[in-house]
Amino acid sequence: MTAAPILTVDDLRAYYATSMFGVAREVRAVDGVSLRIERNEIYGLAGESSCGKSTLIRTIAGAIRPPLRVRSGDIAFSFGDRRLVMQTATQAELSAIRWKHLSYVMQGSMSVLNPVRRVRHSFVDFAYRHIGGPMPEFLDGVRSHLHRLDLAPEVLEAYPHELSGGMRQRIAIALATICRPDFIIADEPTTALDVVVQKSVLVMIRAIQQELGSSLLFVTHDMSVHANLSDRLGIMYAGRLVEEAATAEIFSRPLHPYTAHLVRSLPRIGDASTKRGLEGAPPNLAVPPPGCRFHPRCPMAMAVCGQQAPPMEAVAPGHRVACFAVGAAR
Amino acid sequence: MWRVLRDLLRTNRAFAAGVVLLGIVITVALLSFVSPYPPNDAYVVPPDVPPCWAYPLGTNSRGQDVFWQLSVAIRNTLLFGVTVAFISRCLSLVIGLIAGYTGGAIDRLLMSINDTFIVIPLFPILVMLYFVLRDHMSWLLLALAMAGLGWAYDARLIRSVAMSLRTREFTETAIFSGMTTRQVLVQEHLPYVLPIVFSTTMNNINWSIGLEVTLSVLGFTDINTPTIGVMLYWANQHTAMVAGIWWWIAFPVVLVVTTFIGLFLLAVSMNEFIDPRSRLDRVQG
Repeated sequence: MTAAPILTVDDLRAYYATSMFGVAREVRAVDGVSLRIERNEIYGLAGESSCGKSTLIRTIAGAIRPPLRVRSGDIAFSFGDRRLVMQTATQAELSAIRWKHLSYVMQGSMSVLNPVRRVRHSFVDFAYRHIGGPMPEFLDGVRSHLHRLDLAPEVLEAYPHELSGGMRQRIAIALATICRPDFIIADEPTTALDVVVQKSVLVMIRAIQQELGSSLLFVTHDMSVHANLSDRLGIMYAGRLVEEAATAEIFSRPLHPYTAHLVRSLPRIGDASTKRGLEGAPPNLAVPPPGCRFHPRCPMAMAVCGQQAPPMEAVAPGHRVACFAVGAAR
Repeated sequence: MWRVLRDLLRTNRAFAAGVVLLGIVITVALLSFVSPYPPNDAYVVPPDVPPCWAYPLGTNSRGQDVFWQLSVAIRNTLLFGVTVAFISRCLSLVIGLIAGYTGGAIDRLLMSINDTFIVIPLFPILVMLYFVLRDHMSWLLLALAMAGLGWAYDARLIRSVAMSLRTREFTETAIFSGMTTRQVLVQEHLPYVLPIVFSTTMNNINWSIGLEVTLSVLGFTDINTPTIGVMLYWANQHTAMVAGIWWWIAFPVVLVVTTFIGLFLLAVSMNEFIDPRSRLDRVQG
């Protein structure tokens, strides 16, 4: 692709620094992550709970609040010909791009709506400031946008508790896409839904994304959702990106031992074999193991794995892995 | 809005009773505007006449018609209560929302002020205020003083709600969409805490009227502005109980008790018409 990637993250380190009763603790939730996201692409981010997925996208969205701090690294967006580095951007620059260029479907997006405000007010509060113009025109735009998501215009006059979970979910997605942003971050937007509603919501997300031509950073631990939706997939483990490739490639040819276990654990039709769990548990990110963070659980661990952290290296075009064993095997 | 009120009147006895009682009190208060006598004039009617056709609530020892005196008194008392409640509600909303939302050092500072106001004894301070000001003591000054002392409990209550609202997704979305702190507080959090504020407003009116009556009966306020408490003060000064002028004491007491009960009933039923969720519960139940 010739155009600059819409999002460039370089060696990002974001730690939770707490100091309680004089004991300073540092939780390295995101530790040296680099990734690029192209235009008109759905980038999936997968990993188990507490592997730093949410922290990573919070940092990318610039929704950083203490105790979360960015220690080093760069996050740069390029919208059209505008380039914006998150660390140096002023508050005014950030609010100028938010919603209009960069929007964020929060985790637990069922509750992004204020329970005591009508849905219309939520749209006006959150999105109107970024669109402007006469109010009736704005509301007409909202109605036609809701129609695209199969929502009746009447939901605007409803309170959130009067709507079903799937409707609220679609409203949350409508809220995030109403300004036709270039980049959408979605943090587990379908986790609370059953698979039937989930499917329809995913189809809608895909349709809206293709219509707007925007990029989507989609986070969930649900691999089946990724298989359905993502173009490219990044696998995170204990605050680091361990493997990144096209989604089909990850599922057909996983290289990193963790990814391999993850993919092998997925049930397949006709496969009656007993699935084996991976021994051990994810490390405590306050005191991560030295070297590769996966080595205490890794069946292919070598001596070097406990001493040095493996770098992220390209093993094939568009396929990057951080593993010494994979490098040695080649 | 009107339909909700009508439904409430039909289905909620407490609300209906509260509306009727307060309606009576407010009617009496409004009648003061057509009073035939200026409120502070004495000896305009024959003194000490028991209730009769010409003077339905009798006349007092100062030659005033008790009914017209009472209507001015209840008007001033109600106005006093509403003023105190309004000012103290504004204070507690601003302080509670800011403390709960911002947290940290600002929260600690505001809450230490808040807790100071909770623990200091109000009554001796108000009495002391009277002794310092004496003749300068006015209706408005007392209202300001009581509003300044009466906001602390509710500020703490609102703070606790605001602290939980701060962590909700809609707050984060609001911040992310670029709303300023003031906008988040006014547009997102204020509608959430208003039901609480409405019901505490009624209680606060009750509290301030009660305290005002107490102070007035003891003569620690401006005794030239007729209020319910001031009426009782003059009745005591003229030894109405000993002289058997019972109507001078009984009617003000009955009217102020009616006010208390009416406001209390409104306070307990108010939530249902403000909060859309409890309104829905009622529709289904």
